[in-house]
Formats: sequence, structure tokens, C-alpha cells
Amino acid sequence: MSLEQSDSPVDSQNFDKIDSHNESFEQDEHTDTLRIMDNQYVFIVLPSGNIKVVKLQKDTTVSLGKFGTFHTNDIIGKPFGHSYEIYDRDKIKVIRNVAFYEVDLDDSGANNQETIDDPSKQKLSYQDIEQLKKDGMEGQDIIKKVIESHSSFDKKTEYSKAKYIKRKESKFSRVFTPVRPTLYSVWEYFFAKNPSKIRDMRIDTLSQMLTLSNARAYAKLLVVDDTQGLLITGVMERLGGYGIVLGIHDGEYHNYDIVRYMNFSKKVNDSLMVLSWQQIFKEECQAPFNYQDESKLSQKDLKFYLRKKANYEKVQEARKILWKGGFDGLLVASQYQPESILDTLVPYLAGSRPIIIYHINREVLVNTCVHMRISGKFLNPQITESWLRQYQHGHIENDMVFVCIFKISKAVMYANFG
Amino acid sequence: MLRLSYASRENMTPLIMDPKLTYNNKFGTFRHSDMIGKEYGTKMPSHNGRGFMYLLHPTPELWTHVVPHRTQILYIADISFITTYLDLKPGSIILESGTGSGSFSHSLARTIAPNGHLYTFEYHEERAKAAKQDFERHGLSDLITVECRDVYKEGFGITDLVHAVFLDLPAPWDAIASAKAAFKQKRIGKICCFSPCIEQVQRACASLNEHGFVEIKMFECLIRNQEVHTIPIYTVKDAVSKIKVQQDKKRKRNEEEASNSKAAKSPRIKQDPPNLYVSKTPTEAKGHTSYLTFATFLPVLDDEVEIIDKVNELD
Repeated sequence: MSLEQSDSPVDSQNFDKIDSHNESFEQDEHTDTLRIMDNQYVFIVLPSGNIKVVKLQKDTTVSLGKFGTFHTNDIIGKPFGHSYEIYDRDKIKVIRNVAFYEVDLDDSGANNQETIDDPSKQKLSYQDIEQLKKDGMEGQDIIKKVIESHSSFDKKTEYSKAKYIKRKESKFSRVFTPVRPTLYSVWEYFFAKNPSKIRDMRIDTLSQMLTLSNARAYAKLLVVDDTQGLLITGVMERLGGYGIVLGIHDGEYHNYDIVRYMNFSKKVNDSLMVLSWQQIFKEECQAPFNYQDESKLSQKDLKFYLRKKANYEKVQEARKILWKGGFDGLLVASQYQPESILDTLVPYLAGSRPIIIYHINREVLVNTCVHMRISGKFLNPQITESWLRQYQHGHIENDMVFVCIFKISKAVMYANFG
Repeated sequence: MLRLSYASRENMTPLIMDPKLTYNNKFGTFRHSDMIGKEYGTKMPSHNGRGFMYLLHPTPELWTHVVPHRTQILYIADISFITTYLDLKPGSIILESGTGSGSFSHSLARTIAPNGHLYTFEYHEERAKAAKQDFERHGLSDLITVECRDVYKEGFGITDLVHAVFLDLPAPWDAIASAKAAFKQKRIGKICCFSPCIEQVQRACASLNEHGFVEIKMFECLIRNQEVHTIPIYTVKDAVSKIKVQQDKKRKRNEEEASNSKAAKSPRIKQDPPNLYVSKTPTEAKGHTSYLTFATFLPVLDDEVEIIDKVNELD
């Protein structure tokens, strides 16, 4: 039998996805400082507002396209929270991060009555700006020049001045901000990139699932996650490495891609166990593992054999834990019919434990709700929908006005198992 | 030992088990001694067997349902969103002011256990005492420190200690300077101000900005319930049959009056419409609770690093 690595490429890939950790990136969340570390994922927020995700490796450079490049060694070891401006092509200096320009109450008498929308007001042409760049003028100075060359900049209200500056900044400045991956920032990144991959789950809904399920240290939770691991990530974080998360996944190998971006410690990663839908059934006999005499194997074969053995034993252990039952809760964000999931997994829950099922389509949950009522095994099945609004600071003359940016809604269901 | 009794969604009570006690409600009499030893989720009959209730496993969420309201409390929508946004997890150290009825405090304690800590401040002496009692009764004294204090006048008395701050105060701007000092100074931190009125939000934002907080954002989160019903769906054919039945009835009545005798009964048209499972938003829903204003605390920089003040450059 050939024991090539290529025998089970997906297998070893998954092994690396969750279990790999490097001693050098073991960081305790609750230390006195939170620093940017080698071999960890980091989000880089660009002036354009776009976010780039990077696994930081020391002694390398990171390219930010037209905004420039920087050396990873220049930010590794620095605390999170500050921004950096690129100058001289690849050097950086620290910049204080400012929330928004505190716009004073506008005494200038400016309003937009006299402003005329006329492109000729900006005296600097595109070519002029390119020349300034070539001459080595830096981002902040270019912006100053652009403002100076705008013939009626003064006539703008303070608020639109700030907006104008912000727009120009996103084009010319070379300031980037490293952002630490947290559940919120990781969600934000994936939701902007491809929301359907996380089943359009919003952060308010995810948060409610985590809170309602009473996810906490020493809990033992069952999770069905078809959101690339976003839900599992949240649960793992709330357990903090204490307790067990058992993920039942679609397909032969799990697809919990999102987990690694959190840079979890070994302790947290070890709290995760996984089983496929096939593996949870006792009748589905697994091919028994072909145990061999380890002393007889070559170096290369031994490495591969040990990995396969570890994987097999992990699955057997997970099955044992599942069948033992007594789980503290069930969380579901899946493409599969909730009723069938309930019929399969509810027997493994302890009494009076929460079941939280997420679905983007209300109708699916309506059917599940009726099913729960009829079965008589569930207390208080309820469907809820969450609305989240973010407000933006704005200005109308002398009054501060908050303008609603977006409204979103989600469907979540909550039930107690009696 | 705390258990929750559940008779219906509206009728839940926390009970501390004591073999000498009995619990009475409209569904019957229930002896504690019968409850002790039963598994969570048990459907328990009343003493005379006629009523019943369920024994529930206590959670902070159920506690939020049943906690005596000494002040306006925080509900799930806000509790859950704040927990995520402030990046809370086992080991987190939090500052909360004011404690109020302790609804949020219970949830926080659950999230930061076993190795985190909550420092919570309450201005009102009676409330502080009541909250402390609740925490002790629920075995949370190791995780929570309650202090009765006027934080506007005296500040928090904490420096370089916490990862996150939650302010549920009428005038949070008066506490922000002291809150800022409470953060672990060399580390990024998060703050949340919980305010029902926009004017409070404005002042809080201005104060946060003044004290050097960044990424100031404001949210509102609401949860709407969906009621699920089963309804029969009638078709136009059913509508026509209905009219015919009504007309039949009228004709029969007239015949009976005319002939003074009972007419033959017309065959009953059986209507068996299919059922549809539907949902609707109830007419009354929980409204606005508060606006959530979040901001980020930036760590104090090491001295060797040169700082460029972006704002000043542009003047």
C-alpha cells in the first residue's frame, strides 16, 4: 500500500487548519499588552476602507498595492491600535488614530446655498498631482495642496470640508491600520467579502445565538455549522478552551475555514471536536483502523501513519462523547431541514437546555416551530427576528443629527427543551 | 440551589430549593422536597396532581426574565450585542456602572468565568445591597465585586486594570475620564455607553472624542417576535358553497314558516380546507431601549516612537 502524502490531501489540510499552532504565536488574550505577533493573522485596513487579511511572517514585506509596501518586522511587536503612514516607499511612521474630526459648531456662516458644483473649482489637475507624487511629496502634504487649490473650499460647511478631506485621504494618503482579529472584525471581513458563504448571518444574530445558548466555560455544546465555521468560532471563543464544542459538519471533511483567523491558542483549538453526519450514526461502521507495528515503519511512513492514527482515534473519541449525551445546548446554522436535525441530535441533549436554530428564511423556521409544538418535547418555541441599525454622525447647521445607515433583519429561533 | 419554575412564558419564578418550603401558584401547590433530586426539564405535577409546571435549568437569560426590576434592565438584544462588541470571553476583566437590577451583571459573570472579574458600581445603597445579595445567593461572589459609590464625584478608584467598560449612567460623559484611567493602559480596550436619548449620545460622543477614544460608533438593536399560527385556507369554491349554505338555510326557514312543518334536512357540505403554517409580527412589540455607543481605547505609546498628529497637520 502506498503511503504517499497525496493519499489524503484534504485530511492533512484540515488537520493543519485547526490543530496547527506555533509556540511563537501563543498569546494570552488577557495579558497587559496585545501586540502584533509573528505567524498570526492580522487585518490591514487601507485608506480606501478596504480590508486585506495577511498571515504575518517576520522578515518579509507586505504589499498594499498603490498605497505602498511595508516590512513586517517594523510592526511585529508593536501594540494594536495605532496607524502607520508609509513614506520613502517602504518605511513607516506611527500616526495617531483619530475617530472623527470633532467639527465645531459652525460660526463661519457657511452653508451650501452658495456652493456651485463646478469641477473647475479644483485648480490642480490629475497630471499636476501625479507630478507632485513623483517629486516625492507625501500623502498628507498632497492633500493640503489639493485643499489649497480648491477655490471655494472655504465656502463649504465644516461638515462637508471634513467629508472632502476624508475622500481625498482615501485616494492619496498612505496610512494603514493593523486590526486585531476578533469575532466582530472577522465577521465584518467575511460578511463584506461574501455574505452567502456565512449564510448571511449578521453579528447581532450571531451574538444572540451565543448568549441564548448560554455558551460559557465548561459547557458541552453541539453545533451544526454550515457557515464556514463562523458559528463554531464564536462558540469556541465563549468556551475559552474550557469544555467541549462538537461540530457536526457537512461532507466528509469539515469546512471551518474561519476558525484559523482568530489565532486561537492550542487550548481553545483543542476544545473543538468534529464529526460528519455519517460518522454520528452507530450503524455507519467505520473501516477499522489498520494498526501496525510502529517500530517496523520507516521515518517517512511513520510520520504519515501517526497522523492517520491520530485522526482515526479522534473520530472514535468524538463518537463516544456524542453518544454519552448530556449536552448543554444545540446551535444550528445549516442548510439542512431543522426538523431532521432535531430528530437526530435532540436525544443527546440534557433536560431543559436551549436549542437555537438560525435560518435566513422565516418559512423554514415556521415549519420547525409547528413540528416542535406538536412533538410536545419542547417548551416555548419562539421565532424572533433581529434588527440592527448603525448611526452616523452628521451635521445640519448647528444641530447634530444622526442618520440611519442601514437596517438589517435576521431570523433566529429559540426554544427550550423540556 | 436555584431552579426556575415554568408554568407558562409569562409565569416563571426563581426558586431557591429548601426542603421545608412549598411553592404556590395558580396551577397548584408544589413542595420543594418533591423537586429536589429531579432532573432539569422535569414536568412536575402539583401536590394534588391536577396542575403542573416545569423545572428549568437556570441561565442568565431566564434570570433576565424573572429578575425583580429595581431599575430598567438590559434585555437580550443589547446584552448579546454588547458582549460581542466588547470582545468579552473567559478571563475578561470588566467595569460596569451602574449595577441596577443586576440583569447584565449575571450575564457578564457567566461570560467571563472562571478566571475573569467584574467590578460593578451602584450609586444607590439599597440597590447595591440587593445586587450583592443576589450575587452571593447565586454563587457569583468570587467573580463580582460590588461597590456603592458616587462615580461622578469620586471616579472608579481603579487604574490600569480592565479590558472593557460598560456605562449605563444618565451622564456617562462625567465618568469617561475615570473610565479611561481604569483601562489597562498599554493595551487596546473597548467602551460602551448605554443611553436612551440622542442628546446623551451626542454628549457622550463628544466626551469620548475629547479623551482620545477612536472608532466611535453608534448602534441600536431590536428583537421582534414572530407569532406562529396554523390557519385553514379556504378557496373561492368554499366561498360559493358558503353562500349556498346560507341561502339553503333561509329557504328552509321560509318553507317551514309556510307549511308549518319541518322540511327535510339538506345534506351538509363538508369543508375540509388545507392548513397553512404562518407567522406574523404581533401588533405590540418591544420598542427602543437605548442607543449603544461604542469606542476604542488606544494604548499609551512607547516613548521612543515618533507620533504624527494627523489633525494638526491639516490646520
